[in-house]
Amino acid sequence: MTTDRPDIADSGQPLTSGQRASLDIVLDMIVPPSADGRMPGAVEVGVPAYLFAEAPDALPVLCQELEELDRRSRVRFGRGFAELEEHERKSLIEEMRAQEPSFMSRLSMETLACYYQHDRVLEGLGMEARPPYPKGYQVVQGDLSLLEPVRARGKIYRDAP
Amino acid sequence: MTTDVDVLIIGAGASGAALAWSLAETRMRILCLEQGDWVNPADYPSTRRDWEVRMDREFSPNPNVRRRPEDYPINDDDSPISVVNFNGVGGSTILYAAHFPRPHPSDFRVRSLDGVADDWPINYASLEPFYALNDRQMGVAGLAGDPACPPHEPPLPPVPLGLAGETMARGFNALGWHWWPSDTAIATQEYEGRAACVNLGPCKSGCAQGAKGSADITYWPLARRAGVQLRTRCRVREILVDDNDMATGVVYYDERGVLHLQRAEVVVLACNGVGTPRLLLNSRSARFPDGLANRSGLVGKNLMIHPWGVVRGAFDAPLDSQLGPMSCCILSQQFYETDRSRGFVRGYNMQIIRGFGPVATARMGVARGDIPWGEGHHEAFARRYGRSINIGICCEDLPEECNRVTLDPTLTDSNGIPAPKITYRLSENTERMLRHGLERGTEVMKAAGAWDAYGEGPVRQTGWHLLGTARMGEDPERSVVNGWGRSHDVKNLFIVDGSVFVTSGGVNPTPTIQAVALYIADAMKQRLANLFD
Repeated sequence: MTTDRPDIADSGQPLTSGQRASLDIVLDMIVPPSADGRMPGAVEVGVPAYLFAEAPDALPVLCQELEELDRRSRVRFGRGFAELEEHERKSLIEEMRAQEPSFMSRLSMETLACYYQHDRVLEGLGMEARPPYPKGYQVVQGDLSLLEPVRARGKIYRDAP
Repeated sequence: MTTDVDVLIIGAGASGAALAWSLAETRMRILCLEQGDWVNPADYPSTRRDWEVRMDREFSPNPNVRRRPEDYPINDDDSPISVVNFNGVGGSTILYAAHFPRPHPSDFRVRSLDGVADDWPINYASLEPFYALNDRQMGVAGLAGDPACPPHEPPLPPVPLGLAGETMARGFNALGWHWWPSDTAIATQEYEGRAACVNLGPCKSGCAQGAKGSADITYWPLARRAGVQLRTRCRVREILVDDNDMATGVVYYDERGVLHLQRAEVVVLACNGVGTPRLLLNSRSARFPDGLANRSGLVGKNLMIHPWGVVRGAFDAPLDSQLGPMSCCILSQQFYETDRSRGFVRGYNMQIIRGFGPVATARMGVARGDIPWGEGHHEAFARRYGRSINIGICCEDLPEECNRVTLDPTLTDSNGIPAPKITYRLSENTERMLRHGLERGTEVMKAAGAWDAYGEGPVRQTGWHLLGTARMGEDPERSVVNGWGRSHDVKNLFIVDGSVFVTSGGVNPTPTIQAVALYIADAMKQRLANLFD
C-alpha cells in the first residue's frame, strides 16, 4: 500500500522515529482499515500530517504519552511498544486507558476529526466529498397528515389576561 | 469628539437591530456601536470541507474558545453551564439555530397562575402585534394551527420534517403527546431577497446560503437604508451620566484601541443578558457607585439561562438524519404548562434536533464508548451515523437573585475592560423538571423505535438564552426598567435585550426578545414629546 503522507520524523517535527512508529501503530488501532477494504485506516488518510498541521498544541502531551506507552511496554513485556504483538498492544493500551481515561483522548479526537473529513472516508460512507454549500441536500418534506390526532385533541395552552 | 446623535444603540444583535429599524422612521439621528464586525457569509464553515472542525474553533459559540479580538472572556467557573454567544453585526443570531417558537400567554403571568416569581408588566396580547411584525421581518417558516400556542400565521411553509421528524412524530403520536412542526426563522422559499434554504445543515455555524434569518441580513440592511449609522469594532467602556441622572453618552474604544467620546440624547442597551449588566456595572460614578441604573441592586441578578438536557436516540433504519436544518424540525409542548402532579411548577419544551455530521458522530460515540477503537469501529459508526436523532429539553428556570452576573476582579477583555463572571446553579424545581424531561424524552425515543436512547443534562455548552439581569417592572425597588424598557433611575436610558425578561418561559427567547424590542421602540415613538417625563 502506498500513501502520500510526509515522513514526519524526517521533516524536523518533534517526534523521534521510534515515537513515529508507535504513533502509526496507535492510529491504526483507533481506526483500522475495514476488512472489506472499503474504509481506509487512520494512517492511510494522513492523520500524522494533520496532527502536525492542525493540532500542534497537542504534540507535547502526545510525545509524553508515546514515551509512557513505550516505558510501560518495556516494564511489562520487556520490549518496546512497536515490537509487541497485536494482542499485547491492545491489552496495554486498554489497561492504560482504564487507569487514566484521558490517556490519548486528545489524539483520539483529532484522529477522528481528520479521518471523518477525508475524501476516501466520505466516499466510503456513500457521501459526496464536498462542503455542504452551495449544493446543499434534499430532505423529504414529511407527512403532515400525522398531525391529525394532535389537532383532534385540541387546545393545550392556558389563557391568561 | 464625534457628532452628537439623538439615539445611541449599543449592540447590533437581535434586539438592537429590531429597535434601530423601528426607530428609523422617526428620522432621528441614530447610531449603533457594535464591538464585533460584519461576517462575510463566504467565511462560514459550511463553505469548506473542514466545516465540522471550524464549527468548534473560529466559529465556536463559546467566546472563551473562539477568542476573537472582539470577544470578551466570560468567567464561567461557578456555573455548570457556559455562556455561548457571538459578537458581531447580527449578534448571536449569526450562530443561533433559528428555532423560533412563541411563548404562551401564561409565561407572562407566572405569579398569578402558578404562585411563583413575578408577573410581567406586559402580556402576550400586548406583544402579539410585534411577534407578527417580527415574524415577517425575520422570515419565519411554520404551520398555522398549533393547538399549543395562540393562533398565528407564519409567512412561510415549514422546514421539512425529513425521515427523522416523521419518525419522532410517530413516537409522539403513539404516546398521545403533542408535537408540531417548529416555527423557524429560515426562509423555506425565496423571501425578501433571501435565497431559499437548501438544507446545508449546520445553521449553528452561520448560514452561507443566507436563508437563515440572522439580524445582519434581515433588519440591518433596511435600517441602514433608512439612515441608521452602524459603526463596527467599537467597544463601549462605560456610559456617562450628568448630575441630573441623565445619560450624556458613552466612552468607547475603536478597532485601534483609540478612546472616543460619543454624546447622545438617548442611550439604548442591547448587549444581551450578560453584556448589558456588565456594561452597567462597569459604569460606576459618584451618583451610581454600585453601577449605573442599579439603585434597586438588581442589575446582574436573576440570571436565567434555560438549563438544557439532551436525549439521544439511535435507530435501525437509515434516516438521513444528518441532513436538514440541524436544530429545527418539530417540537413538543406536552409538558410546557404547569402540572403540579409532576413534582415541579412551570415546564419545558422538547425540540427535535437532527443527527450530526460524521466527525461529531464519531467523536461523541467514541467519547461515550458507543463506538470503539479498533475492531468494530466501522460497524458501530454505521449503526449511528444518519440514524441518530436528538431531543433538546429546554427548561424554564425561575429568577433567583443568587444566579447572577458580576464583574470578575482580574479578567479583562483586550481593551482592559473588566470581564463578566457568572454564578449559576440549578434550583431543585429546575433539577426535577430536567429529570422529568430526560425521562419523557427517553420514553418518546423508545416509542419512536430507538434501539438505544439515553439522556444527559444539564449540557454545558448551551448557555445561549441570557435573560433576567435587568428585569422590567413597575416597582423601582424590584426592577431595573419600567414596562416599556426605560430605566427607573436614568430617564433617557433604555434596555431592550433579554435582560428585561421577568421570567424566562420555556422556549428559545429570540422571538420574544425582538418582539419586546419592537414594543419598546413603539412605546418610545408614541412618547417622543415627553419621553423623559
